[in-house]
Amino acid sequence: MTKETNRLLGHADEADGIEEYDNPLPDWWLGLFWITIIWAVGYTVHYHFIADRSQEGALAAELAAAEERWPEQAQAQLAFSYSEEAATQGEQVYNQNCFPCHGMQMEGGIGPSFVDAEWIHGGQAANIVQIIQNGVLDKGMVAWQGILSPEQITNVASYVIRRHSEATGRPIEEILLPPDEVGAEDAPS
Amino acid sequence: MESSSSSVSTATPVGVTPDYDDRIVKMFFTATVIWGIVGMLVGVIIALQLTFWQANLGPWLSFGRLRPLHTNAVIFAFAGNVCFTGIYHSMQRLLKTRMFNDTLSRIHFWGWQLIIVSAAVTLPLGMTQSKEYAELIWPIDVAITLVWVVFGINFFGTVARRKVQHLYVAIWFYMSFVITIAVLHIFNSLAIPATLFRSYPIYTGLTDALVQWWYGHNAVGFFLTTPFLGLMYYYLPRAAERPVYSYRLSIIHFWALVFLYIWAGPHHLLFSALPDWAQTLGMVFSIMLIAPSWGGMLNGLLTLRGAWDRVRTDPVLKMMVVAVSFYGMSTFEGPMMSIRAVNGLAHYTNWVIGHVHSGALGWVGMMSFGMLYWLVPRLYKRELWKPQWAEAHFWLATIGIVLYTVAMWAAGLMEGLQWRAINDAGQLANPIFLDITARLQPFLLLRVVGGSMYLVGAIMMGINFWKTVRGSDEAAQTPASVTA
Repeated sequence: MTKETNRLLGHADEADGIEEYDNPLPDWWLGLFWITIIWAVGYTVHYHFIADRSQEGALAAELAAAEERWPEQAQAQLAFSYSEEAATQGEQVYNQNCFPCHGMQMEGGIGPSFVDAEWIHGGQAANIVQIIQNGVLDKGMVAWQGILSPEQITNVASYVIRRHSEATGRPIEEILLPPDEVGAEDAPS
Repeated sequence: MESSSSSVSTATPVGVTPDYDDRIVKMFFTATVIWGIVGMLVGVIIALQLTFWQANLGPWLSFGRLRPLHTNAVIFAFAGNVCFTGIYHSMQRLLKTRMFNDTLSRIHFWGWQLIIVSAAVTLPLGMTQSKEYAELIWPIDVAITLVWVVFGINFFGTVARRKVQHLYVAIWFYMSFVITIAVLHIFNSLAIPATLFRSYPIYTGLTDALVQWWYGHNAVGFFLTTPFLGLMYYYLPRAAERPVYSYRLSIIHFWALVFLYIWAGPHHLLFSALPDWAQTLGMVFSIMLIAPSWGGMLNGLLTLRGAWDRVRTDPVLKMMVVAVSFYGMSTFEGPMMSIRAVNGLAHYTNWVIGHVHSGALGWVGMMSFGMLYWLVPRLYKRELWKPQWAEAHFWLATIGIVLYTVAMWAAGLMEGLQWRAINDAGQLANPIFLDITARLQPFLLLRVVGGSMYLVGAIMMGINFWKTVRGSDEAAQTPASVTA
């Protein structure tokens, strides 16, 4: 701001008495403006043409990095097996994460009940584990894989299976049979 | 009150009383104070509702319905009426002519107040278009359009019959307000009515979102920024009795601001289905906005050269300095938040609410209060009832804003960091969203305290003006020497 003239422009009679100085733009202000403009062009060219970045690319890179860092989780999905011990430990997992939607007694609420005979997405153990892992995003069911550990998923699935069996009288052995075909309403249309 | 003859003597020839319509200015001023207090009161109520859920009373007075009432009241009722007060007062003087048509002025005033009342009825009843800052249902949208056209005709009619050749920069800022708000409101509200209370937007999905945020961001730009810069360019040099620092800066930053602002809307949709190129566009135009925004702050602060001794004692100048400083702060914070990496942390957190309020309470609110404390004694030709209350208002408002902003920064950073935190096993460290929400409570309570201080200050201003204005009856035969 060394170039200040502080010379009045002299049109105060046209602005209700407000005078204006004829001062130039402050150098640092003009410099800042140019820097942001140059940065804007540079960033755009770099993001889209040189580095060829995208939000899908960023997500894929993040997922790949996670899979490399925690590889056992990707494989652990398949390792579900029912045990009474797991079912007992699953109660705590259920009461911390599941009850707001499925109810303290699994009677349902925002999400469906587990203590009646009806299963929307298949009623076999493998179906239940799959739904817990991957969620049903359209209906608001969270994909718990990544939030709960594989062990916690095994435990809570076992707990749901036992409570379902107790409430409906359906034997646990039957629930552990191979999975149901996914219902027609779940198939992509 | 000094006659400020040194600065106005050239504007008003001696012995000639200009035939200005100050009645309409008083009407808009009265509405400003009433709606300001109502809007801020609703703000404190909803802040309380977020802190204690028990404060949600029935569906009508629940957060979801009162929140749009708060935003509409403070933006369109308070800030809108402030702009009309200042514009109707200053443009007549800057253009040396009475408003184009007094009937249009009255239609504008009563139409606008009717729109506000209809908003205050329909929003608690749950009638909404569910577009942020554009919630009002289609019949009210039509009314807004008609009233705005009336205002536009009156405004440009006055410009057309001006008795000066040079258009002062404040008029340019007012013009951008009149034109751009019309364009934004009409295009964002385009909808097919289904019933009297319901309509369907003509845009779908992503287009709807993009048009909405083109509107939403520029509502901030052209309802809460450009008209207030216009008010600053008139009232700050008048109150400081100093020349504007740089004419050239005012012109350059005006055109840069209006050209760049209109493209920045997509920064509200970062990390969404919006194509990457459009997200980049919104982000880089936001960054380029820093200097044009700061041009206004610079011209305001540098105009005070030689008047800083008075800033220490004069509540009007104090409020304007705080306003301009918050303007500079929030127009730096905004571009920072539009950077992808920062936005990933800040978006959807209370930081955004804090950012909005440092602009709304700091810039818009303080500029309005400063302007009114300068204007009202001159408008009613009466000394302010209690100047020390204006001083108290300044401190209540300033400390209130700081508490509010700090609380929201802390809350927002905490939320943002805890949402994304991952533990050593690769799982979310805070898997239960509700836990994080519950941890916000102390910050939300601090926000209630800050907001309440701001509200108390505004109520004190209302009482102060009430007493000042009522006093003017006794002094109806004020000597002409105090005309300003």
